[in-house]
Amino acid sequence: MEKKTLVLGVIGADVHAVGNKILEYALTEAGFKVVNIGVMASQEEFINAAIETNADAILVSSLYGHGELDCQGFPQKCKEAGLDDVLLYVGGNLVVGKQDFEEVKKRFLEMGFHRVYPPGTMPETAIADLKKDLGIED
Amino acid sequence: MELRNRKWDLDYFNQIREEVLKMWPTGAEVDLEEAVAYQKEIPAHKRFKDVLARAKKEGRTLIQPRAGVALINEHIDLLKYLQDEGEADLLPTTIDSYTRQNQYEEAQRGIEESRKMGRSMLNGFPAVNHGVAACRKVVESLDRPLQVRHGTPDARLLAEITLAGGFTDFEGGGISYNIPYAKDVSIEKTLFYWQYVDRLVGLYQEKGVEINREPFGPLTGTLVPPSISHAVAILEGLLAAEQGVKNLTLGYGQCGNLIQDVAAIQTLEELAIEYFNKFGYTDCQLTTVFHQWMGGFPQDEAKAFGVISWGAVTAALAKATKVIVKTPHEALGIPTKEANAAGLKATKQVVNMLRDQSIEDTEKLLIEKEMIKKEVRAIIDRVLDLGEGDLVQGIIKAFQAGVIDVPFAPSRYNLGKILPARDNNGAVRFLETGNLPFDAEIKEFHEAKLAERGQVEGREPSFQMVIDDIYSVGKGMLVGRPR
Repeated sequence: MEKKTLVLGVIGADVHAVGNKILEYALTEAGFKVVNIGVMASQEEFINAAIETNADAILVSSLYGHGELDCQGFPQKCKEAGLDDVLLYVGGNLVVGKQDFEEVKKRFLEMGFHRVYPPGTMPETAIADLKKDLGIED
Repeated sequence: MELRNRKWDLDYFNQIREEVLKMWPTGAEVDLEEAVAYQKEIPAHKRFKDVLARAKKEGRTLIQPRAGVALINEHIDLLKYLQDEGEADLLPTTIDSYTRQNQYEEAQRGIEESRKMGRSMLNGFPAVNHGVAACRKVVESLDRPLQVRHGTPDARLLAEITLAGGFTDFEGGGISYNIPYAKDVSIEKTLFYWQYVDRLVGLYQEKGVEINREPFGPLTGTLVPPSISHAVAILEGLLAAEQGVKNLTLGYGQCGNLIQDVAAIQTLEELAIEYFNKFGYTDCQLTTVFHQWMGGFPQDEAKAFGVISWGAVTAALAKATKVIVKTPHEALGIPTKEANAAGLKATKQVVNMLRDQSIEDTEKLLIEKEMIKKEVRAIIDRVLDLGEGDLVQGIIKAFQAGVIDVPFAPSRYNLGKILPARDNNGAVRFLETGNLPFDAEIKEFHEAKLAERGQVEGREPSFQMVIDDIYSVGKGMLVGRPR
């Protein structure tokens, strides 16, 4: 079967590079074609990369607490760019301060993300969800 | 003109300064002579330089948190709490990530959203947007020395505003605030920006105001071998000294093996003295800072206190002048003030209890120190060769060639060929030495250490081992053994 394409990046002014490098490694090992736009990626860079590569999913990371500001309007912009069928995952330390994750999750789901992950999620979790959501048989 | 490691003349500085102060409207609030007069009124117990000097003399380890929120009064309340309830000896002001990238418009939006939402939407204090008077209000509300902590490649305006605002210590450097904190900024640019910051601190110094400077020790905070961070810290210290800086705190981030960490803090100071003497900067006050574990933390708060306390033990036994403290919320992002104070109090208790104890000079410790020194000298001496005596040119070429190489850095100006991994005792070694200028003896030392672990675990040292080590502390172990 043809490899599914993922756009991977860390949004906003965030420079956390370690998890990004490990996700790239783990997702590639899991059989995906990974387009890693790296750290400090703008909403536009995610969208352009997804259009150019005909991506199946966009994986947004945010570790520094500004995720809520940086992600505002992102799912909407994806729709406007014609990326209606592209899965939108987001995860990391998305907000400032220790907040109830269920509340945070609700906020991001309402924004239009399909899956929202708490801090400390291992790559395996997202990989299993991707396979399920993209209909990939193990 | 090619950038050199040479003290800037005043006309040149003033010419650049005019542009810097125009980068955001609050720059117009800065008047150097008035700022010097203001700084001179700050008493010794609120000056970093003096408090550090006293702690060093007494052999004490001071404790300092990280902290910063979007709005002025809330920021003051937070720091007051850490001073009074958290018993912090030294206070920070952590700057938000938009300001770090000079995105002052975004920071302004963060300030406004924070007011609207009634909670901080920024991960730090946007000092440039708030301006000189606001910084002074913060300084005047507190009874401890205040330092600016950030991660800003171009911190020129931030330095102007916060130093005029009464801060007495400024973190960062042209390497340590570029390679781990930027993607696309050249080393040459950041070395230039930080020559400006150091020259500004040097000017204050010449006018009788002692500001302390602190290169950021832990770099990417992810399994950085001591020789890499030592080389960077010492090089940045030398660059600062050339611009007239006289007070420096050199840093190192905890790796986790007690012997290696103690050896690291001891050699950091010994090597710094060696190189400062070699370059003729003999009148500088050198102190050290130990950063509690900078990698991934356990989510469980009790387990996090274990990690924090282990860092406190190491800082105290290594006799670091100060320790930067983590919090039990580390795995979840920005902590509450209560969690921040809890980390401080746990650290204070340990540091106080260990005040009169130290580590013996065992053979293991001496070997560790000797290896660190050999590696650091190999790197710095090659930097000097590459620059034909000029440190700035040497550093630029060293990064191109991978002679200095930082693991897991976001910057494309870093070669990224080295890989660290833990040995069987948890010390951080090189799995790949990339283009580091190490001789056969050094390489064989690291190979043997990793082979020993591989044998115990029944696997070849590989990238999987590195990943296991990155996650291991968060999962409750130091060494990432196979599951």
